[in-house]
Amino acid sequence: MLAKIVASVFLFVITFLPRLSLADWAVNMTEGVTDVSRSVYSLHMQIFWICVAIAVVVFSVMLWSIIHHRKSAGAKAAQFHENTTIELLWTIIPIFILIAMAVPATATLIDMYDTKESDIDIQVTGYQWKWQYQYLSEDLAFFSNLATPKEQISNLAVKNANYLLEVDEPLVIPIGKKVRFLLTSNDVIHSWWVPAFAVKKDAIPGFINEAWTQVEEVGIYRGQCAELCGKDHGFMPIVVKAVPYEDYLVWVSDKKTIIAEQEAAAARVWTMAELMEQGEKVYQTNCAACHQPNGEGISPAFPALKGSVIATQDQQAHIDIVLNGKAGTAMQAYAAQLNAVDLAAVITYERNAWGNNTGDLIAPQYIQSLLKDK
Amino acid sequence: MTSISATEHHGPEKGLMRWILTTNHKDIGSMYLIFSLLMFFIGGSMALIIRMELVEPGLQVVQPEFFNQMTTMHGLIMVFGAVMPAFVGLANWMVPMMIGAPDMALPRLNNFSFWILPFAFTMMLSSLFMDGGAPNFGWTFYAPLSTTYAPPSVTFFIFAMHMAGVSSILGAINIIVTVMNMRAPAMTYMKMPLFVWTWLITAFLLIAVMPVLAGTVTMMLTDIHFGTSFFDAGGGGDPVLFQHLFWFFGHPEVYIMILPAFGIISQIVPTFSRKPLFGYPSMVYATSSIALLSFTVWAHHMFTVGLPLVGELFFMYATMLISVPTGVKVFNWVATMFRGSLTFETPMLFAIAFIVLFTIGGFSGLMLAISPADFQYHDTYFVVAHFHYVLVPGAVFSIMAATYYWLPKWTGYMYDEFLGKCHFWCSFIGLNLTFFPMHFVGLAGMPRRIPDYSLQFADFNMISSMGGFLFGFAQILFVIVIVKCVQGGKKAKAVCWEGAKGLEWSVPSPAPYHTFETPPNLPDEKYP
Amino acid sequence: MRLWQVIKAVLAAFIGVQSEKNRQLDFQAQTPLPYIITGIILVVLFVLCLVLIVNYLVAF
Repeated sequence: MLAKIVASVFLFVITFLPRLSLADWAVNMTEGVTDVSRSVYSLHMQIFWICVAIAVVVFSVMLWSIIHHRKSAGAKAAQFHENTTIELLWTIIPIFILIAMAVPATATLIDMYDTKESDIDIQVTGYQWKWQYQYLSEDLAFFSNLATPKEQISNLAVKNANYLLEVDEPLVIPIGKKVRFLLTSNDVIHSWWVPAFAVKKDAIPGFINEAWTQVEEVGIYRGQCAELCGKDHGFMPIVVKAVPYEDYLVWVSDKKTIIAEQEAAAARVWTMAELMEQGEKVYQTNCAACHQPNGEGISPAFPALKGSVIATQDQQAHIDIVLNGKAGTAMQAYAAQLNAVDLAAVITYERNAWGNNTGDLIAPQYIQSLLKDK
Repeated sequence: MTSISATEHHGPEKGLMRWILTTNHKDIGSMYLIFSLLMFFIGGSMALIIRMELVEPGLQVVQPEFFNQMTTMHGLIMVFGAVMPAFVGLANWMVPMMIGAPDMALPRLNNFSFWILPFAFTMMLSSLFMDGGAPNFGWTFYAPLSTTYAPPSVTFFIFAMHMAGVSSILGAINIIVTVMNMRAPAMTYMKMPLFVWTWLITAFLLIAVMPVLAGTVTMMLTDIHFGTSFFDAGGGGDPVLFQHLFWFFGHPEVYIMILPAFGIISQIVPTFSRKPLFGYPSMVYATSSIALLSFTVWAHHMFTVGLPLVGELFFMYATMLISVPTGVKVFNWVATMFRGSLTFETPMLFAIAFIVLFTIGGFSGLMLAISPADFQYHDTYFVVAHFHYVLVPGAVFSIMAATYYWLPKWTGYMYDEFLGKCHFWCSFIGLNLTFFPMHFVGLAGMPRRIPDYSLQFADFNMISSMGGFLFGFAQILFVIVIVKCVQGGKKAKAVCWEGAKGLEWSVPSPAPYHTFETPPNLPDEKYP
Repeated sequence: MRLWQVIKAVLAAFIGVQSEKNRQLDFQAQTPLPYIITGIILVVLFVLCLVLIVNYLVAF
């Protein structure tokens, strides 16, 4: 019976092997692309091999006893029950091993904590469920949202290679420069983690944490939020693009131009069709996580918009809650997050989608004027 | 035995009232154990829902908000509903019998502390059916996710935690009073079995830290309902304060869940090695120092919250050092087996698996103590693998080992050895399939508590899920073995294990309803 | 020399090793209180020691 069970387990495993063999069998920590990440990796490997060595000794003695000192093999039990010398020995030796381990660990830690003399400072703010990056010396800020389409998550489309690890706007940093991150949060605690840099630091509302990295290789590095932050904790990835310094400068000025153009677009007249189209995009990126793509929400934390008082009646109240959020709930103040066009578009969309047909058109100019007053 | 005659004219009451009104330590012990088994299955089915969702990338079975409720409730139920009550149940049954006492010192308190639990956990579980769902902020319930951003059911969760805490404190008081005052005259402290020793120390830990937990959840309560800002920076509070408070409770809690397990293993390994426990005095000393030192390492759970460098180094060093007395225990068990005369009945199989797998969990714990490396491990599946290795083959296996070890004493019949071994091997294989691959996905970068994951983690997650189902369904065997054993089978002798020593074996099997109404003399053999 | 014996017992507990002979000695005591108090004091000292070491390292 026992053999049967073991055999059936193996059979089960073997049945699944064909699909398993396609695997990417990553079993270890990444070495990463910075000095810090490499020393973390070497600490990890050192302590791992120490553990393996101790395990081999302890388990060998155990296995020896199990094989040779079994009653069925005629073993007679000895009656010894203490030996202070050997006990002291197996206490003192691990202490020395640990002290030997603590030395390089301390050095690495001190290095990780040295955030002085950075070349570029970036403030990273966690939001439910996206990241905001502010380049402190550049007057440049933007949000970074999950880019994986909903259809892939709900298995209606084939998944990309970077499924759940792709964003609309990656963070761009130059290589060979010391980049300092100032981490904070707008709502709950998040944790900003890029394994390739060995940087993981909690983003805590009301406080600022520091971390730094100096990347040596050009590349795209991916990570995820590491601290449970609510419903879509699994859906707020981090993508960092490391580029040469000159490319970085070009990117900064391009990015600023694009943002300026988007803001200027608020001045022109938008048609209903344009606003609805733009609004749907904005809604899917920023609102659908809570209020759901169909506008029905998830009661009671995330109220429905479809047929709701707020989205079908008083326009001003609707604009106010979108711009300023609602204290004590997950509803954020979007005035600080979106530009006037996007705000106008998304409010228009909410007031006209899913049978909310109010026919209201919110003009970007009007939102712009509200934002200016602030 | 003196107690047999007593049974005849003063047995248990009949019917339901026996269980509601009982003050008998054996009845209450059984109720604790059955309650914890029930909770183990409820918490376990939540784990299976989690594993079902994680079979493949993409959302298939549940939505993220329900997934978070499952991870939260699974953790809370298993820690506070399954593992802790199981140990209290074992203590209720065995401590009086091991020290030669007629019952617990405070029998009515004992009844009360049990009957709080069903109400606490009914309330906790009822939150699953409330508007907004059950608590969804993880079993560590970090503020402000558990305060400002929590579902309305959080208030019920807080009250349930208060009640479970009261129950634990009352149980702990009872055990301390019993051990200190009710020992047979010949049973000096230095002769107490290790299970009694470890429980005595655990009880002190419980009294020290459960009030901290109660205080913490009360602060949450006032933050949520009465406008205080303990954990809200906007009002001058600090979310990190919550974590300090929680882990000041939480780290000793880890030892609360493992010290009684050390005691159980220290009873079982000598029995089936037919050899006295190696280093008994060292074990007692190490246990008491672990209890004290466990209060100095809590922030190693918080290496990434931005502790100052000084704090980071302090907690790293303290944590590394505290691993030494724990390691010494493992060496002692192996030295007990060395040159013994071993047999491998089910309790011994579970005990050996405990030693091996708990050691693996200890090693990953040592790795986690290295703060710079912890920046990569923290909040990944590596941590999930670590604490499941410590808690499943650690705490849970020790409870199962204890059940098999003492079941003949409780029921008067031997359990089915073959089924017991099947249960062991299925559990052993299942749990390693489940939790070993988690080390790999964790190191490769998979965060914990996510309902969906990127493609590179797919294969190991599928293996984990298959192992999870094997482990889960293997537990049905456990129930079958227990039910069969209660119903009948081969009669158990008073000393049903050849190498068993201790007072509990000097009473007949099944143990009479009342034992040791007059204090016994200690058996002749060298004690412990 | 009783104090010294208590301290030795607590230190032995910290590294988790004690011989049967000394244990006999420890458990002849009438009350465990001196052991508990010494234990707590030594834990505080242990913490202070670590804090000193850490501060020294950071200042460096």
